[in-house]
Amino acid sequence: MTKDKEANNDRRTFLRQTATATLAGTVPIGSRAFGAVGIAVVAATSANNTHAADTSPASAPFTGYQFLGPLEATFVETMVNIMCPADQYTPNGVDCGLANYIDRQLAGAFGQGEGRYMRGPWKQGKPQLGYQLPLTPAQFFMAGLGAASDACTRKYGKSFDQLSAADANTFLQDLQANKYADPRVPLASWFNDLIYPLFVQACFADPMYGGNNGKTFWKLVGYPGLPATHTIDMVQYRGKPYPGAKDPKSIVDFS
Amino acid sequence: MATKLDKRTIVIVGGGLTAGLVARQLTAKGIEVLVLERGVDHRAGAGAKLPNQRDELRWDTRQGLIQNWAVQTYSLRHSSGEESLPVRWMEAFLPGEGMGGAANHWNGHTWRWAEYDPILRSHYETRYGKGIIPANMPLQDWGVTYAEMEPYHDLFEKLFGISGKAGNIDGKIQPGGNPFEAPRKNEYPQKPLEITEAGLIFKTAVEAMGYKPFPTPAGNSSGAYTNPDGQKLGQCQYCGHCERFICEAQAKASPEVLLYPMLLQRKGFEIRLRCHVLGLNYDKQGKRITGVRYVDLVTGTEYEQPADVVVLGAFTMSNTRFLLLDGVGKPYDPKTRSGVVGKNFCYQTYSGVAVFFKDRWINPFLASGSTGTVIDEFNNDNFDHAGLGFLGGGGIGAGVFNGRPIANRRVPPGTPAWGTKWKEANAAWYAHSFSVGAQGSCYPHVDNYLDLDPQYRDAYGQPLLRMTFDFRENEIKMSEWVTQKIGAITKAMAPDIMGPVAGRKAPFDTRQYQSTHVTGGTPMGADPGNSVVSPHLQHWDAENLFVVGASVYPHNSGFNPTGPLSALALRLGDDLVSYTQRPRML
Repeated sequence: MTKDKEANNDRRTFLRQTATATLAGTVPIGSRAFGAVGIAVVAATSANNTHAADTSPASAPFTGYQFLGPLEATFVETMVNIMCPADQYTPNGVDCGLANYIDRQLAGAFGQGEGRYMRGPWKQGKPQLGYQLPLTPAQFFMAGLGAASDACTRKYGKSFDQLSAADANTFLQDLQANKYADPRVPLASWFNDLIYPLFVQACFADPMYGGNNGKTFWKLVGYPGLPATHTIDMVQYRGKPYPGAKDPKSIVDFS
Repeated sequence: MATKLDKRTIVIVGGGLTAGLVARQLTAKGIEVLVLERGVDHRAGAGAKLPNQRDELRWDTRQGLIQNWAVQTYSLRHSSGEESLPVRWMEAFLPGEGMGGAANHWNGHTWRWAEYDPILRSHYETRYGKGIIPANMPLQDWGVTYAEMEPYHDLFEKLFGISGKAGNIDGKIQPGGNPFEAPRKNEYPQKPLEITEAGLIFKTAVEAMGYKPFPTPAGNSSGAYTNPDGQKLGQCQYCGHCERFICEAQAKASPEVLLYPMLLQRKGFEIRLRCHVLGLNYDKQGKRITGVRYVDLVTGTEYEQPADVVVLGAFTMSNTRFLLLDGVGKPYDPKTRSGVVGKNFCYQTYSGVAVFFKDRWINPFLASGSTGTVIDEFNNDNFDHAGLGFLGGGGIGAGVFNGRPIANRRVPPGTPAWGTKWKEANAAWYAHSFSVGAQGSCYPHVDNYLDLDPQYRDAYGQPLLRMTFDFRENEIKMSEWVTQKIGAITKAMAPDIMGPVAGRKAPFDTRQYQSTHVTGGTPMGADPGNSVVSPHLQHWDAENLFVVGASVYPHNSGFNPTGPLSALALRLGDDLVSYTQRPRML
């Protein structure tokens, strides 16, 4: 664990240095995209990261992104830090592992479309009949990210990671409310049916999957996790605070 | 070219709950049974062992125990005038795969339906007159009475160690039980599960309103239990991982705990796993099924398995599809309202109202799949429908079944979808909220039916089953009326915050889970003109073919479907003992 924490801290330090270097204009052009990741992280984490110190949340082993390239990582890190700002409840989204979770899901079986019926012909229909595109979730993610980035630039004249926190939040709300029409990509569906569920899962799935670092969100709501043998608790804590809710246990704790 | 195997006495398609019950009756009498099941034995897998059993993302969100939609899904249109599309990832209902079928991952609610459910058409016409049932609602009697099914309900409840409180023993109303319950010979084999805090709040409110609350009858074992076959259940741990999960504590009555381990020890029982059935060999002239075609998924070999008797014991949807694929029986046609296969396809009509109590600790994670407190006053025809303009109703209850946090958190209306306010609301209300819901009936409609999709095919190259389904006027009116009753109850509970009070609306949405209670498609009845199978579940057009499961229900009631279909399966087992001795129309 200590080693992982160090590795994570090393990465943060590295990103901050890169960001600084980028701003100073001393990094070669080839590294520019990666530098942008640093900017996003700095902008969203350093400014308001008072909470991290007391809960040691950044304990998940961040080992690099498997799926996200620098541009996608910039977008996702900015987004999860807007949707989950550092506040009195949790550290910011990146420190909670939310970007890490989304990366792992897109890289894995979910992203590759496991369990989805993928035979043609392909037609669009009523929303109640569900997703009907011939794209895997990972492919849809990429298509939507491109369209969302374009929409952002059209509206604000700059990229998503360069927006103020308030503008970035408004931009996401407008995506959710179907206020951006892309000629090809259904952006509201992209946000509501793919991105938002991934965000919620990142917060509340077992930390084994790379999000919910330190069981932060389980602690937030008071979900005790495993192993849940509650035959006696059922009577003893009916209508009363359940002590185990303060110290949840995950699959990781029993593996 | 399929390899032809040696003939077997009884071949059952699908290794789930009904197959296990039918096989129990037959093998006890020394009659050999072969079950063909496409899935695996989950008992030693990650889904049945700690710690991975408690993985909401894997088993719930990603549907780890559910039918693989990439291989086989269903298409949908809301009316016969529309074009269908395949449901590429289904959330609404969840068929299982593997030994035990969907009954491995069920929640455990085990109802006997109303005494009048099997004679529903006669019941409504007797009470309200001939004109009460609309022409577009093909309700029909089942051709079997509750009294005939009662001994099999009793047996099933003993085999599955059901926990509950009787409301009506031999016509005598029992305090604490459901006064609308069909008369039973015996009390439930086990005492009810513990009540939840939400159940206590609900109970206090509805008792003050003059209603009679009672505990949901549960397949989640309230104590350690040994059934009449010597099979054992552990005591429920109230872990909140029932529906969509296998119970690692063997405390949820399931076929892979109570039936298959025993059957596997019995002489004459065989289950072939990873064997996907492709169809029935139908001798139309001789009105017989000569065998079953399947592909062994491990070797890739296709086989023909001849049989004296074939039982379709697959999921509701598959039972109908096999008959349509091989032309056994006349497909239903909504234009002429003739034909029977695919007819009377029904679902369930849910609605609910969220309530928030800042000073009450609901602790949703202290729960089992059936920890519910319910009332039956507004279910089915337990109230006077004169002048209401709809038929049917729903059971109303406070069911807290789990606190799994990805999918089961409530926040007050108006809460933002993310950000600090969202976190604040989750922190404030997760342990302090629940829903009061109605499980509403769904009666048949002439334009709700199943047939083969003309365009889309599964991974084996066979047509998908197409649903033509929506919530029709009757169900929408019923749901609104019942939901207003919920609203009156939740208001009386005086919560700090209450969610919107609104009944179920059309269109049917495949993206939202409701329940896995799809029913019909192969309705039973005494008249071959409106039913696929006889009151003994025997196919009218193939004497040695029997169909069992929720597919035989002519309508869906305001209850979970497991109880009656299990009683019918046990009765079918006994009927087949007789049939194998002397084959005939029963």
